[in-house]
Amino acid sequence: MADAAPNTDLVPVTVLTGYLGAGKTTLLNRILSENHGRKYAVVINEFGELGVDNDLVVDTDEEVFEMNNGCICCTVRGDLIRIVGGLMKRRDKFDGIIIETTGLANPGPVAQTFFVDDNVRAKTRLDAIVTVVDAKHLPERLQDSNEAEDQIAFADVIVLNKADLVTPEELEAVEQQIRKINKFAKIHRTTKANVPIAELLNQGAFDLTRVLAHTPGFLTEDDHEHNDDVTSMSFEVESPIDAERFNAWIGALLAEKGQDLLRTKGILAYAGDERRFAFQAVHMIADGDFIGPWKEGEPRVSRIVFIGRNLNRPQLRRGFESCQAA
Amino acid sequence: MSQTVSADHILETRGIQNSLDAFVVAAAFDRTGTAAAFALGDGTVRIARRGATDWPGVAVHDGAALALAPDAAPTGWVSGGDDAALKRIGADGGVSDIASFGMKWVEHVASFTDGKARLVGCGVGKHVHLFDGKDDRLKTLEHPSTVTGIAFDAKGKRVAASHYNGASVWFVASKTDNPRKLEWKGSHTGIAISPDGDAVVTAMQENALHGWRLSDGQHMRMSGYPSKTRAMSFTKNGKWLATSGAESIVLWPFFGGGPMGKPPTELAGGDGVLCTMLATHPAQEAVAAGFSDGLVVLADINSARILPVAGTGRGPVSAMAWSPDGTYLAFGTETGFAAIVDFSKK
Repeated sequence: MADAAPNTDLVPVTVLTGYLGAGKTTLLNRILSENHGRKYAVVINEFGELGVDNDLVVDTDEEVFEMNNGCICCTVRGDLIRIVGGLMKRRDKFDGIIIETTGLANPGPVAQTFFVDDNVRAKTRLDAIVTVVDAKHLPERLQDSNEAEDQIAFADVIVLNKADLVTPEELEAVEQQIRKINKFAKIHRTTKANVPIAELLNQGAFDLTRVLAHTPGFLTEDDHEHNDDVTSMSFEVESPIDAERFNAWIGALLAEKGQDLLRTKGILAYAGDERRFAFQAVHMIADGDFIGPWKEGEPRVSRIVFIGRNLNRPQLRRGFESCQAA
Repeated sequence: MSQTVSADHILETRGIQNSLDAFVVAAAFDRTGTAAAFALGDGTVRIARRGATDWPGVAVHDGAALALAPDAAPTGWVSGGDDAALKRIGADGGVSDIASFGMKWVEHVASFTDGKARLVGCGVGKHVHLFDGKDDRLKTLEHPSTVTGIAFDAKGKRVAASHYNGASVWFVASKTDNPRKLEWKGSHTGIAISPDGDAVVTAMQENALHGWRLSDGQHMRMSGYPSKTRAMSFTKNGKWLATSGAESIVLWPFFGGGPMGKPPTELAGGDGVLCTMLATHPAQEAVAAGFSDGLVVLADINSARILPVAGTGRGPVSAMAWSPDGTYLAFGTETGFAAIVDFSKK
């Protein structure tokens, strides 16, 4: 089998979430108007806000439906399945797809769409979930809604916007708050969403190699684990993983706790295989693939990250450790 | 000593082929059968007159073409695109506007004629728009969610649309616009009506078909597909529904009480390759089918004989159509290969 490095034939898809007023539209306008040498098809919900005339902008109505696949939390965006199918007919006209979600949307159904639908999976890869947050108003948002918390929990990249509207201390406090929910996302502090486009798009963030390689605070034991707040935790083991044991464990875990587990990501060293195995899940919907060989001399450490509610650290650790090959 | 006949034998001896350099979205002959059109992902339509080796292209949509059907008139076609336009393409290659829909994609088109009445329908967002022979808009039919497929019945009396949680069947001439609602939970992604007008079948997101028998409201569930069904086509006599989405041509029996509780007939399977497109023959109990590796075959349903038409290696087959008299087959692939094959006696 050929080395399955992230397939470059697949169209990278960036999901852009964030509350109304956080700066999503500013960012989208920059992506569409700046000269960065790449063309993006943009799927949006309210065309009026975007001042750019572009035949690659697609207006859609979010249509979420439940899959009848026995998985209670599996909801997907039917409109995206249709639109991606349509865009693939002129695949040569753009380099990537950006999907904007409405302010209040939970990113779960968008992400699950890219796991669940075979045709979408065959043509695209989820590159990253980018969440734009407003440094000034985020604390309030987190108090009054679960969606704001979910959007941070799902994110691979967070644009901490309007940094100029708060004091350095406030900014630090907001960042700490974000880290408490999701300590694995890359954070960009910005004003007017002025992060370089190249740092947001086509990052391969969802394939998580890079994210896991720069994980801060590994193995810290500072979380309150038995409450409704979203937290994140990670585990690593040094001996190789038995694929069968891992599948049995993660399968049962996702089936039982999938509603609480927003994101699960892992890079695994399977016993007897020279390649890294990348695993990821959104709620109960999981996917995995080999992503190329371990580097020469690189320690073959298997790591897994959970972002969700009601995470039981000792139980998760014991479970992951029990997957090591005997 | 045996001599292997190339899988391309029919294509080479009876076909005209071209590379069109864009995703072939749909193929359709006009109603006289004298020309075929291929609608492409680059927004152009190629017109192939019978026997011509050069197929001129006309610019039709600013973006991608998404749907194509023969016009209700004797010649020409109607097409929809992601530029929100419903267009008419004349046999001479002239393009005119029928309607435009703001920002919305025109994802589905269909037409009907019995020689006198003419109807053109298109699916745009949650709406189905119906036009008469003079391009006057007869009706705009609203659905609870985006329309994913439209079909006229064989008499042009009704039009059916698939959407979330079922399908709606409308009487075209009705004064009051209330559809018959066919309900089944889930996302329905395409629709077909049997020639006798009694069965409506939808394809579903969950790799299955759902059907309703209109006379008694009986539900029909047809499942077991490894992928989604994109193409569904009843045989002319209505006995079989041929479907894509499996590693063979899957045919459901619509005689002797219907498909409930019966296994389908499978043809041209065994290679582990998905059937991606098909079209039943307009007269015979036969079906042409294309696969994801580019293979195109013609299958005789009763004898289960398979005739290879084109070999593998030209991209997943994405479009297919018969001429109305059943002598010519047009097909195209995602990678821009297209051909017209002449099956008439020589």
